[in-house]
Amino acid sequence: MYSVIKRVIFFIFLIGIWELLFRVGIWPEYVLPSTVSVGKTLVNGFHDHTFLIGIAISMKRIAIGYGISIVVGIFLGLLIGRIKIFEETLGSLISGLQTLPTICWLPLALLWFGLNDRAIIFLVIMGAVLSITIATDTGVKSVPVLYLRAAKTMGASGWKLYLGVIIPAALPHIVTGMKQGWSFAWRSLMAGELLIVCLGLGHLLMIGRELNDMSQVIAVMIVIVIIGILVDRLFFIKVEKRIRERWGLVKA
Amino acid sequence: MLESIEIENTIDTDQIKAGSKPLAYKLNDIQPKLCIQHISKTFLSKNGGVSALEDINLEVKEGEFVCIVGPSGCGKTTLLNIVAGLEKADSGEIWISGRKINGAGSDRVVIFQEAALFPWLNVIKNVEFGLKQKGINGSQRRNTAMEYLKLVHLTKFQHAHVHELSGGMKQRVAIARALAINPEMLLMDEPFSALDAQTRWILHFELQSIWLKTKKTILFVTHNIREAVCLADRIVILSTSPGRIKKEFSVDLPRPRDDNDVNVAEYSTRIMKELKAEINKVLKCEMDADSCVECDIKCTTEEAAKTDAGGGI
Ligand SMILES: Nc1ncnc2c1ncn2[C@@H]1O[C@H](COP(=O)(O)OP(=O)(O)OP(=O)(O)O)[C@@H](O)[C@H]1O
Ligand SMILES: [Mg+2]
Repeated sequence: MYSVIKRVIFFIFLIGIWELLFRVGIWPEYVLPSTVSVGKTLVNGFHDHTFLIGIAISMKRIAIGYGISIVVGIFLGLLIGRIKIFEETLGSLISGLQTLPTICWLPLALLWFGLNDRAIIFLVIMGAVLSITIATDTGVKSVPVLYLRAAKTMGASGWKLYLGVIIPAALPHIVTGMKQGWSFAWRSLMAGELLIVCLGLGHLLMIGRELNDMSQVIAVMIVIVIIGILVDRLFFIKVEKRIRERWGLVKA
Repeated sequence: MLESIEIENTIDTDQIKAGSKPLAYKLNDIQPKLCIQHISKTFLSKNGGVSALEDINLEVKEGEFVCIVGPSGCGKTTLLNIVAGLEKADSGEIWISGRKINGAGSDRVVIFQEAALFPWLNVIKNVEFGLKQKGINGSQRRNTAMEYLKLVHLTKFQHAHVHELSGGMKQRVAIARALAINPEMLLMDEPFSALDAQTRWILHFELQSIWLKTKKTILFVTHNIREAVCLADRIVILSTSPGRIKKEFSVDLPRPRDDNDVNVAEYSTRIMKELKAEINKVLKCEMDADSCVECDIKCTTEEAAKTDAGGGI
């Protein structure tokens, strides 16, 4: 509770300084807008639905791209984690590709898909899939042998062993990978929407720039940050904590 | 090889009532439940091979409770894993009810030292795990699981999560989970050695009562002679490096037996005395070979009776 109060005071202080600088009038308004006009843009944006539509479009893209990343990432992670030949081949490719910043896939995405939704979704996938693959691989390799033996002596084998034991046992790692994958996916999405202009939050940001409307730029940035925090704090951190408790990795 | 030490009070009406022995005797001349034939196993390491097991031969009758006792590192776990089909022997064969085994199977369920319950499932779902693998449908699965949870007195905890259970409770769930599949044999690898003395004492009673009720064939590994005397019909002693069957004792005390019972203590002491030489050998191995003094273990009845879970080698 105390830390929340400190945080609130800090942000009020920050906004106060910002407003003060605006009032002093060193910079023109298109460089530093007033807090009031940013607030108004935020309210208007939600009121006339432009922000809501932007959020909806961005969310749809990340849902598709991130969803595909989870399925593909876990599948590849299982292959690499459990089958030697895939580890030696695919594994080295994946860890090599991970060093490549996601935005470097942009030219390739444009040539393959053109300036459209599919190119953006491709960027989202390339952002998230590698983290999830690598985390799943680690998770699968650290499944306690005891669980596998116990499952085998109770007659588990084949896909039942994967679904019933290996994936759940690896879940703490997989969720951590998903969390990291989400933040990469969110960044790639914004980069993609900025550069491949076709609706979405990133596009709203670009409109702000084109209209010299700094209030819109800052308002959209605030929305992007808040969504990122909401998903990370309200979802991933809680899920991760619950799983670690349940799996006995930390004392409850 | 079989050496039976006579105990005075052999007229035990309890056993006849419980009907465990007569069953075992009746099936004696038909076919052993488990037949271990010429099992050998060598582990390869950097400095040569470690001969873990050498020519192990053992037969276990239907409904018999056999304890394998031996010092640490003598190959007890290895032998149990080979019977379970989790490890391959270099040579030899394992037969269960006249079938040669090849790999793990739900006819022989292992209970490990750590309960190995799955933390992503609650208690009742853990007990259902093996039944699910067999493809048994939902409501029937739940009923069977509840039945076995009742057997280990844990129905109250059916919806609890694994991390909320004590060590003893976990081990009881593991026993229920194994029994629910209705295996032909239970293989238990030091299942109680991580528990405190009281919990172990309770579980010794519980396991005996389960065994009397279910008539399961049990192969139980321990390094604790007292525990073996408390539980077994027959005790098989393994010697160390290479692991060989050194001696067998049959235990003919009335059930349920108590760890602290005078007869159990006395019997443990007798076995200990017989094994003094072997214990000395182990101690010598574990200490520096050159500087080893002749270790002499004093093993008297009083001493063994004093230590609560004593008799470990
Ligand atoms: N995977 C392995 N690789 C190499 N050596 C092994 C392996 N597993 C077991 N051993 C060796 O085989 C021998 C028997 O081991 P095992 O675990 O069966 O002993 P144990 O009787 O169960 O001992 P404890 O009472 O400590 O559990 C030991 O000397 C051990 O070092
Ligand atoms: Mg062992």
